[in-house]
Amino acid sequence: MDDNETKRGLGRREFLRRAGLGAGAAGVATIAAAAIGPDAIAAERPKDGGYAETEHVKRYYATLARF
Amino acid sequence: MAALASREGDWSTAPVSPVVGEERLRAEFYLLLAHLLARPPSAELLAHLASLDGDASPLGTALGGLAQAARATTPEAVSTEFDVLFIGLGEGELLPYGSHYLSGFLHDKPLALLRGDLARLEVASAENNPEPEDHVAALCEVMAGLIVGAFGGGPGLDEQRAMFSAHLGSWMQHFFADLETARSADFYKRVGALGRVFIAIEAEAFTLA
Repeated sequence: MDDNETKRGLGRREFLRRAGLGAGAAGVATIAAAAIGPDAIAAERPKDGGYAETEHVKRYYATLARF
Repeated sequence: MAALASREGDWSTAPVSPVVGEERLRAEFYLLLAHLLARPPSAELLAHLASLDGDASPLGTALGGLAQAARATTPEAVSTEFDVLFIGLGEGELLPYGSHYLSGFLHDKPLALLRGDLARLEVASAENNPEPEDHVAALCEVMAGLIVGAFGGGPGLDEQRAMFSAHLGSWMQHFFADLETARSADFYKRVGALGRVFIAIEAEAFTLA
């Protein structure tokens, strides 16, 4: 990462923090772990070079399937 | 990239995603929005939302509003609200699909373009799923997956930006604004506000990276 990239990265992080994606929003992370499911961000690698069916996308679709 | 937990893995001992801090929180917000837009919240989730504190930041203000709304409703009331908004008798009050917002028709060209990009990322929907991939919840989950590198290959911000620009940025704020002002919405007005603010932050942040 060169100096310009570093500055852009810091600008983005600072912007995100000021917008609210900082310590104050950390409670949202506990929701994903506690109420949505501990494997909310879990993944399965592609099999046979084909499409990957990630756990969370699959979970989402499985739930929507009730429609 | 560090390996993520597999489906069979024990999450508590699985390698943790290297994505941390603000970027990780972005994924958590996408997942929360996806969850709330795919199904009504459980009593447990509603209780968690009710316990959140907002702050003075744009997102913190929206989060505080959502927490307040969660405290003022019940799981039964939110479930009824969800059905009226998104299911209805044949059709809900809102149509949460990118193709509808972008072309005025369901299953139109925007969905075909999205399917092409998802195929390139090797992401596919599960079998027996009737919902198209341009459902707002599906797109939020795809973004969360891209952020944490869940789809393999470790796409970074460039890949996230490309997905956001092509398939979320141009319509999702309109959808969330519609949800915020939907006639039948109460709790979901606050979900709409949170989504609208979050997507606006995302759009701005992508210009800074």
